Amino acid sequence: MPDLGRAALVTSLLLLVYALVAGSLAAWKGRRRLAESAQNALIGSFAATIVAAVVLLAALARHDFSFQYVADHTSRELPLGYTLTAFWGGQEGSLLLWLLVLGGYSVAAVLTGKRAGRDVLAWVVPVLGFVGTFFAFMLVFVSSPFATQRALADGAGLTPSLQNPYMAIHPPMLYLGYVGLTVPFAFAMGALLSRRTDERWIVATRRWTLAAWAFLGIGQLLGAHWAYVEIGWGGYYAWDPVENAALMPWLAATAFLHSVMIQERRGMLRVWNMVLVVLAFCLSIFGTFLTRSGVIQSIHSFAQSPLGSWFLGFICLTTVGSVGLVLLRLPLLRTKTRLESLVSREATFLYNNLLLVALALTILWGVVYPILSEAVTGEAASVSKPYYNFFLHSFGLPLLLLMGIGPLVAWRRASLRALGRTFLWPLAAALAAGVVLLALGAGSSRVGVIAYTFSVFGLASIVLEFARGTSARRALGGVGWPAAFSSLVARNRRRYGGYVVHASVVLLAIGVAGSSAYQTVREARLKPGDTMTVAGNRLVFRGFETRMESNHRAIRGLVDVYRGDKYLGRYKPGKNEYFAEDQISNEVSIRHNPLTGGDLFLIADQVNADGSIDLKALQKPLVNLIWLAGFVFVGGALIALWPDAREERRLAERYAGAAVRI
Amino acid sequence: MVALSVAAVLAVFLLYTSIAGGGTPTLRPSQLAGHTGRVSLVGKVVGAPTGDAHAGGLRFRLRDRDGTATVPVVYTGSVPDLFRQDREVVVDGKLRNGLFVAVPNTLVTKCPSKYTPKR
Amino acid sequence: MTTALVVGALLAIACIGLVALPFLREPSVRDDRLARPDELEQRRLALAEERDRALAALKELEFDHRTGKVSDDDYRELVGPLRAHAAEALRALDLRAEHTAEERVPARG
Repeated sequence: MPDLGRAALVTSLLLLVYALVAGSLAAWKGRRRLAESAQNALIGSFAATIVAAVVLLAALARHDFSFQYVADHTSRELPLGYTLTAFWGGQEGSLLLWLLVLGGYSVAAVLTGKRAGRDVLAWVVPVLGFVGTFFAFMLVFVSSPFATQRALADGAGLTPSLQNPYMAIHPPMLYLGYVGLTVPFAFAMGALLSRRTDERWIVATRRWTLAAWAFLGIGQLLGAHWAYVEIGWGGYYAWDPVENAALMPWLAATAFLHSVMIQERRGMLRVWNMVLVVLAFCLSIFGTFLTRSGVIQSIHSFAQSPLGSWFLGFICLTTVGSVGLVLLRLPLLRTKTRLESLVSREATFLYNNLLLVALALTILWGVVYPILSEAVTGEAASVSKPYYNFFLHSFGLPLLLLMGIGPLVAWRRASLRALGRTFLWPLAAALAAGVVLLALGAGSSRVGVIAYTFSVFGLASIVLEFARGTSARRALGGVGWPAAFSSLVARNRRRYGGYVVHASVVLLAIGVAGSSAYQTVREARLKPGDTMTVAGNRLVFRGFETRMESNHRAIRGLVDVYRGDKYLGRYKPGKNEYFAEDQISNEVSIRHNPLTGGDLFLIADQVNADGSIDLKALQKPLVNLIWLAGFVFVGGALIALWPDAREERRLAERYAGAAVRI
Repeated sequence: MVALSVAAVLAVFLLYTSIAGGGTPTLRPSQLAGHTGRVSLVGKVVGAPTGDAHAGGLRFRLRDRDGTATVPVVYTGSVPDLFRQDREVVVDGKLRNGLFVAVPNTLVTKCPSKYTPKR
Repeated sequence: MTTALVVGALLAIACIGLVALPFLREPSVRDDRLARPDELEQRRLALAEERDRALAALKELEFDHRTGKVSDDDYRELVGPLRAHAAEALRALDLRAEHTAEERVPARG
């Protein structure tokens, strides 16, 4: 069986190399049949990758411990779900997942890519082949999931903290995002290579980019949620290099999504868009590289792996190649259109782009700083939370404000008088909120108040946009409010879907501000009967209880929570001791407050031999808004992604006469 | 206009680094000598830890991953679940009279499995 | 073991087949050229995009005006040039279409 897996991967590699070489030749010389053959090679490669994936999955399912990979990441007692998702639990398997997702995206791109023009597609194929070749090469020669050994009786099992539904689904979601960014990249390169000056490639890849970006965002939220409930230190983001690895491409992709709208409307910023799509893709590969090699110290730091140098080489080659191509085609991309006014929606998009890219680059600097400082001074120095928080505030808060300003400003040129009128209500709402907040004592955190006020401004402006748009539509058609609203959204899916996404980001900002700037933390050592208070909640420790489960021993501290005289419930923070893996995991206990959206977060820091507990309690206001924001985000993205028949027809007509055989 | 904003971003960045200074050095026990400021110490836990991180301090020794130099550490605060003898850890603190006094709640252990290379 | 061999063989055959398919379907073909938009076509596309942009900008302006983002004065100032721009783009596209038809007819003959 492992031989089949290996053979399948070799087949996949050969087909990808063919797609790269034959595809390039076909595109360059303009040979139709060869181009189609190269396209088919991508499809074949996907099929071969599926075979390899099935082999691994089958080996996992039947606990075939002669596969080193199966033995390293599962055990007999592991529930079936986690046994199967262990597919992407290790380095080799996650590379295979990457190749699998890339194959899927490549096939879909090829099948729908004719919309971008056959000549562009002809170049897209070798670009996809190039990326695929790298990963297939790694899987065949450097990091194979099909290494065998003498079959062991049982495997090493999965780290207990990874036995969690969020952690099971987080990698595929992230990969659908990371890998998805390859598609707009490939089409951008395809457009450049085929010397096209039109926007067809953007129109063709719009939905891909949006979907990949959405998956990347959801993947990160899932990871953050896992960190919150499973690792349980009371936070959800630690600025760890591996976390940053996903954030950076996401920020670049966000910038790209916005500036592409300017290119569509005004035909400007073509060079900038090329730079952004290359940046997003390179950051996504860099992110994969960070997570796989031991190059940067991280709590996820995996010891130095040979994979690192290969990845570095691939990143350098890709970056140099794509930047070189953009420079080469610079004359083709230049336009005469200039920004008409610094007070226009184009301008706000530009500011937003600059802020997003600045944030991404400062995070990148922070991530690579240890390597650079070691190279220069011989000593690795690292930056931590204060650094990242400073830039998050410096760039993030203006971004938050811009999200509210943008929708209120007209395209091309906004008159200041009109601005005054449109700004009035949101500004008033924000100021009122600010006053109320200060009165309630929110002034304890300056950043918090600013974040809240900006958020209110943003939400008010979004609500106003919907209201004004609906009322205008109603006046036009003489229909009722609901009909006007639905037709408004239906006719402008991207805009209003985008507004919903903005709303989700604002919710996220409120949740983050509340749970970080206004949290309360208390720690105490409690003997049975002792009490501690945190933010008005009285916690009484009642002692420990121990429970034996199939693969672990559960120790729980019993904590009764009271608010004034009211009994709120018994919560049980504690630890699990896993036998097979010989590891302890932290099991936090969280009380959600459905009314306020806050959490009471209880951690059993230390279980002491004398029956006392070192209890750490955090009160985190509004933290559940973060998770709620995730749902709103998905909703907004779906609205924006939803196919629009009218628009499709218009685009088809625009490109109908194109690329006809003479 | 682009140039102006790039300059503005750079200015913000330089402002920060000039105030906050460079990053925190990450050192192995063998490199500690002579550093008096706050550093991040990386090493392997050798010998059984003693004491109580929530009362009086947890005491353990850290050794270079590949080497022999060791340094005693005293730590207070939250102890990660994966912490134990022979684990690799990172902890912030200052060296004082041969004893590494850790900053509370900065002890972090490395995830042991997930992406280790072939054994 | 034999299932592995069978699957492997099937995979190999299928892949070779896929790659060879375009050549097998059309062993000898008059025109193997990859369709590429010529100069004419590129310009037509550019004009079509320009036209769509102009029309969309007009629509946006109307909507922004109706929702109060653009004042009456500004609207009056902007709508004229935009309408002219859109008309020009439409005209250029029609001209191009005419030219193309003329230029293509002799080639067909």
